[in-house]
Amino acid sequence: MPASIEARNLGKRFGEVHAVQEVSFEVHPGEIVGLLGPNGAGKTTTLRMLAGLLAPTAGEAFINQHSVQKEPQLARRALGFLTGDMDLYRRLTPVELLAYFGQLYEVPQPELRRRIDELVEAFGIGEFKDKHCEKLSTGQKQRVSIARTLVHDPAVVVLDEPTTGLDIMASEFILQFIRRMAKENGKAVIFSTHHLDEVERLCDRVVIIHKGRLQHHGDIDSALAATNQTRLADAFFEMVR
Amino acid sequence: MRTSIINTIFRKEILEVLRDKRTLYLVILLPFFLYPALFFLIGKVGQSQAGKMQQEKVTVLIDPALEQTPVPALIGSDPSFVIKVQAFDSQALAEEKTTIGIRVDGDYAAGLAANESVILRIAGDFSKDLLDGRKQSITGLLNKLNQSLLEERLQGVKLPPTFAQPLLIQEEDLAKPSQHIGKVLGAYAPMLLMLFIFTGCIYIAIDITAGEKERRTLQTLFTTPVNVREIIAGKFLAVACVGLASALMNLFSLVFAVLLQAKIMGGNVSAISLAISAQGWVWMITLIVLSTVFLAALSMAVSLLANSYKESQSYVSPLMMLVLIPAVMAQMPGMELTMTTALVPVLNICLAIGAIFKGAFSLPAMGLVVFFALLYGLLALYLASLIFGNENVVTGEKVSWKLLKG
Ligand SMILES: Nc1ncnc2c1ncn2[C@@H]1O[C@H](COP(=O)(O)OP(=O)(O)O)[C@@H](O)[C@H]1O
Ligand SMILES: [Mg+2]
Repeated sequence: MPASIEARNLGKRFGEVHAVQEVSFEVHPGEIVGLLGPNGAGKTTTLRMLAGLLAPTAGEAFINQHSVQKEPQLARRALGFLTGDMDLYRRLTPVELLAYFGQLYEVPQPELRRRIDELVEAFGIGEFKDKHCEKLSTGQKQRVSIARTLVHDPAVVVLDEPTTGLDIMASEFILQFIRRMAKENGKAVIFSTHHLDEVERLCDRVVIIHKGRLQHHGDIDSALAATNQTRLADAFFEMVR
Repeated sequence: MRTSIINTIFRKEILEVLRDKRTLYLVILLPFFLYPALFFLIGKVGQSQAGKMQQEKVTVLIDPALEQTPVPALIGSDPSFVIKVQAFDSQALAEEKTTIGIRVDGDYAAGLAANESVILRIAGDFSKDLLDGRKQSITGLLNKLNQSLLEERLQGVKLPPTFAQPLLIQEEDLAKPSQHIGKVLGAYAPMLLMLFIFTGCIYIAIDITAGEKERRTLQTLFTTPVNVREIIAGKFLAVACVGLASALMNLFSLVFAVLLQAKIMGGNVSAISLAISAQGWVWMITLIVLSTVFLAALSMAVSLLANSYKESQSYVSPLMMLVLIPAVMAQMPGMELTMTTALVPVLNICLAIGAIFKGAFSLPAMGLVVFFALLYGLLALYLASLIFGNENVVTGEKVSWKLLKG
C-alpha cells in the first residue's frame, strides 16, 4: 500500500541553525504515528514542512503521493492540519467557520452542507452553533477546531502537540478522536506529543528526533529492543541523551 | 487565481468587519457626521461669539477736551457704548478689558477752523477681540463725521464733494458663491478625505493581517489549498472596500452638509453645482478609488511587517504623518499640480481633488495623476505580496527585512 505521508530526507535550515536534517519516515492509511523529541528537536518544523507552511531546504515531503512543494494545492487538499497554537475566527459562529473552510477547500455546496451537519452532530457543536467563537469555552473551541480540520474529509491528519495545555478530559477527547479517525475512517495520522503514555496507548509506530536528526523510526517494541529497555520512557531518554 | 476563493475570503473579512461595532463607528459613522457636525459647530460658535460681541457693553472714556464736540453724541448713538466724559491715563487703560478711550491732540475747534487735520486718538488693549471689534465701530462712526466735515470744507470753497475723491474704486466679484465654497473645500476636503481613507484602511488592515497573526488564525488559512495571491487579493479587496466606504461616506457628508447649509441660509447653492462638473465627479471618484488602492496596499504591507497588533499600531502615527504631510502641503498657497508635484504620492491626489473642487482642472494633469496613482498603488500591492509570501508571516514568526530578501 502506498504511503499517505512520506518525509524524504527532509531538512530545514534557518540561517546557521539546522533545525531538521535528513529526516525520513512514512505513514500509511489507518496508521497512527507519534512524533517524539525534546523541546527544540525539530518536531514543529518537520510537521510544518509536511503541511507546506515551510519550504524544506533539503529533501521533499509527500501527502497522498503529491509533492507538497511541487503540487501544493493537491497535497493540501488531502491534509488536515491542527496545532495547539491555531485559534478560531472570533466573530464567526462555528457553522460559519466550517462553511468558510469548506469553501476554501472547494467542497461542493450540497456535500459541504451534509458534511457540516455530520460534524456538528459528531462533535456536539449543535448546542453552541450560533454563538460567536470568542464566546466559546476552551473545550468547545477544541471541538470546533477538530471539526474544522476534518471539514474536507482529508486522507491525512497532522497534529502538532494537540493535547498540550488541555485538561485530562479534553485530552482524552482528542485521543479518542485520533483513534477513531485512523481505525474507523482509515486516515493516516501523525501527531507530536510530550506524553509518552499517549504514544504507548495509541501509536502503531513512533518517530523520535533529537537535535533535528532522526533517532528512531519503527514500532515501540523495536525502540525498546534497540535500547535494551522495557519501558518507552527509558528507551526515549536513552535515545535523546 | 480563483475568483470564487477570493470572493469567499473577501466576504468572510467583510462579515467580520461588520460585526465589529467599533470599526463601524470609526469607518462609517464618524466620516459621515463629520461635516454636518463641523458646519454646525462653526456656525454655533460664530453666532454666539458675534452675539456676545453685540451685547457686551463697552465704556468709552472721552477726554473733556472733546466734550463740546459732536464726538460724545456720535459714539453714544450706538447703544452698546456707555459714554463717560473724563480724562484717562494710557497706562491704567491698558489694564482695562471693556474700556476704550478717545482723546484729541491740541484744540479741536481751533484746528478745524484753521483747516488743519485734528488728530483723534483711540486707545485701548486691542489684542482683545471685543475691544478690537468695537474700535472698528468707533472708527466707522468717526469716519462718517470726517466725511461730513470734509463736505463742509469743500462747500466753503465751492467745490463738489467728488473733488476730494478723484477715483472711486469699486469691486465686482464675478465668482459664484459656489466658487468661494470650492476654494475653501478644495483646500481642506482632500486632506480630510485622505485621512478617512487612511484610517479606514489601516484599521482594518491591522485587524486582518497583524491581528490575524496575533490571534493565531493566519496559519490555518495557509494550510488550505489557497495560494498567497488569492489570500492577498481577498484581504486587499476587503481593506480597500472599507477605505472606500469611509471615503464615500465622507464625500456624502460633505455634499449633504453643503446642501443643508445652503437650505438654512436660504441661498440657491446646490451641492451638485459646487462648481464640479459631471466630468469632475468622474475624475474625483477615480482619484478616490486609486488613492484607496494605494493606501490600502500600503496599510497591508506595513501591518504585515509588524509582529503584533501593538507593534503595528505603533506604525500608525508615523504612517499617518507620511500621509498627512503631503496632504497639508497641498493646502499651501501657490502649490499647484505640475510635472513634479504629480509625482509625489498623496500630494498629487490632494492637488488634483483640490483642483476639481475649484472647478479648474486640465485633462493632461488628471491623466498624469491617475497614471502615477495607479503606479504607486500597484507598487504598494507588490510590496504587500512580497511580505505576505514570506515564510515567517505564514507561520506567525517574527518578520525581519533580512529574511524578506532571502
Ligand atoms: N522560524 C524560525 N527561525 C529560526 N529558527 C527557528 C525557527 N523555527 C524554529 N527554529 C529553530 O529550529 C529548532 C527546532 O524548532 P521546533 O521545530 O519548533 O522544535 P520542537 O517543535 O521540536 O520543539 C529550534 O532550535 C528552533 O529554535
Ligand atoms: Mg513544537
